[in-house]
Amino acid sequence: MTFSWKRVNAIFQKDFKDFSRNLAVSIVVFLPLILAAVYGRMGLDTIQAHFMNINMTFAMVGTYVQCCLIAEEKEKNTLRGLMLSPASTLEILGGKSLLSFVLTIVIAFFCAYLSEYRPANIAIIATAIVISSVFFIGLGTLLGLIAKSVMESSVIVLPVIAVFTMGSFVTVWIEKYPVLQIVEYLPNIQLIDLATKVESGAGFGDVISNLAIILIWTVVVYILTVVVYKKRMVD
Amino acid sequence: MENAIEVKGLAKYYSNFKAIEDVQFEVKKGEIFGFLGPSGSGKTTTIKILTGQLNATEGEAFVFGESVSVLKNPTARKRFGVLTDNSGLYGRLSIIENLQLYCKLYDLPNSKVDEALDFVNLKEAGKKKISTLSKGMTQRVNLARAILHEPELLFLDEPTSALDPVNTLHIYNGLRALNNRGTTIFLTTHDMQEADVLCNRVAFLHKGKIQLLDKPGELKKQFADGTVTVELSNNEKIVLRKDSEGAEEMFQLMKENRVQTVHSNEPTLGDIFVKVTGGELV
Repeated sequence: MTFSWKRVNAIFQKDFKDFSRNLAVSIVVFLPLILAAVYGRMGLDTIQAHFMNINMTFAMVGTYVQCCLIAEEKEKNTLRGLMLSPASTLEILGGKSLLSFVLTIVIAFFCAYLSEYRPANIAIIATAIVISSVFFIGLGTLLGLIAKSVMESSVIVLPVIAVFTMGSFVTVWIEKYPVLQIVEYLPNIQLIDLATKVESGAGFGDVISNLAIILIWTVVVYILTVVVYKKRMVD
Repeated sequence: MENAIEVKGLAKYYSNFKAIEDVQFEVKKGEIFGFLGPSGSGKTTTIKILTGQLNATEGEAFVFGESVSVLKNPTARKRFGVLTDNSGLYGRLSIIENLQLYCKLYDLPNSKVDEALDFVNLKEAGKKKISTLSKGMTQRVNLARAILHEPELLFLDEPTSALDPVNTLHIYNGLRALNNRGTTIFLTTHDMQEADVLCNRVAFLHKGKIQLLDKPGELKKQFADGTVTVELSNNEKIVLRKDSEGAEEMFQLMKENRVQTVHSNEPTLGDIFVKVTGGELV
């Protein structure tokens, strides 16, 4: 497989220009920041509250924005143009994900800053946030490829966002309904678990299982994304 | 001469509907090949199969001697350009920004943008946003994008369908120049006059099957009815056969100084298409 950073950068630059002129989608990136600012002023200083903001960033910026960007490319047939160009699958998906990745990381950082979250071990949290961002962006890409239009994408992304961000609320019923234990393996729950362990002094070795579970989710979502993308290459 | 495209027994079925059936043809390198037919005859389906956007149900298609599946290799895609009716552009970006993206994807200098805009007669409009363009201008930008890298093989699906006569002529001249520099052109159109003006050979596609394939001139000879129309000095029009009897009659009319004009009754490609298919062009 070929890889050219120049082509990835070309798609990224195009996306940046296009995104900055697309108010309907670009305005969404401010929602997690507003929520984080409100939480910060309310003095909510729990891991759950901090990661509510960060998971909201993943869902809104990573998944929702990415899903809309991909669905729009599909709806307007510009994705077809990219597919017929010399850009490889890796270059197209990489280029198409780069803007969402940069935005997700920047917004997640500012959310943490505004809600006054200061992790005990920045390296572990940063690693987990980077892997989680990649997962949520992959999820957005997958949903965008499945959706037939931007309108449809904003509908199908909602239940997925609900599951992957609000899953933590379900954990209170796990004792009553053991089947809900599966929720504990969601990447967002793993991230909260990891952050909680980090606050009690855990190192990389202690959170490896959390990181591995998030990584497995990431790999699975990207395998599905590539399969759907290859199908979309042929009408 | 080497073939740019070779198609053998190509078929595409959607459930019970046969989009194309047993399509067979070759396009020589350096040729402008016209694939003619009314809307829904299977032209776009054929282009999509030839550019790797659609899998054929039956048959084989080769581009530059290799199966079309090779087009899944990104490097191979540098050799061809495509303009289809559903080619998309980024509406919020300008014409130049759209073309610059493709310059980078094809590893070309930005100076190619000016050449491509000149080709489609849009040099003055480069800074306009795509969303503000008319259908015809959008079509021209799509064409500029398809020829940006001067491909060896260019697939054009109804390239001038939305254009005015002045720009159509400009595009024709550009396509001829591109062809003279070595680009093979596979052109689908339902505009028989366009095919007549541009193509070295044409194939008539009707209900998914090729009905005729030859040079436009040969087809006209083949379907000529062997008559001429003579307009007399009293504005009366008579039809004479191109045989000894007609020649004698013509000689007599000329001798009597009664002939105003003589027109060969050569059929147009449109006439031939209607005759062969029994249908009408839509």
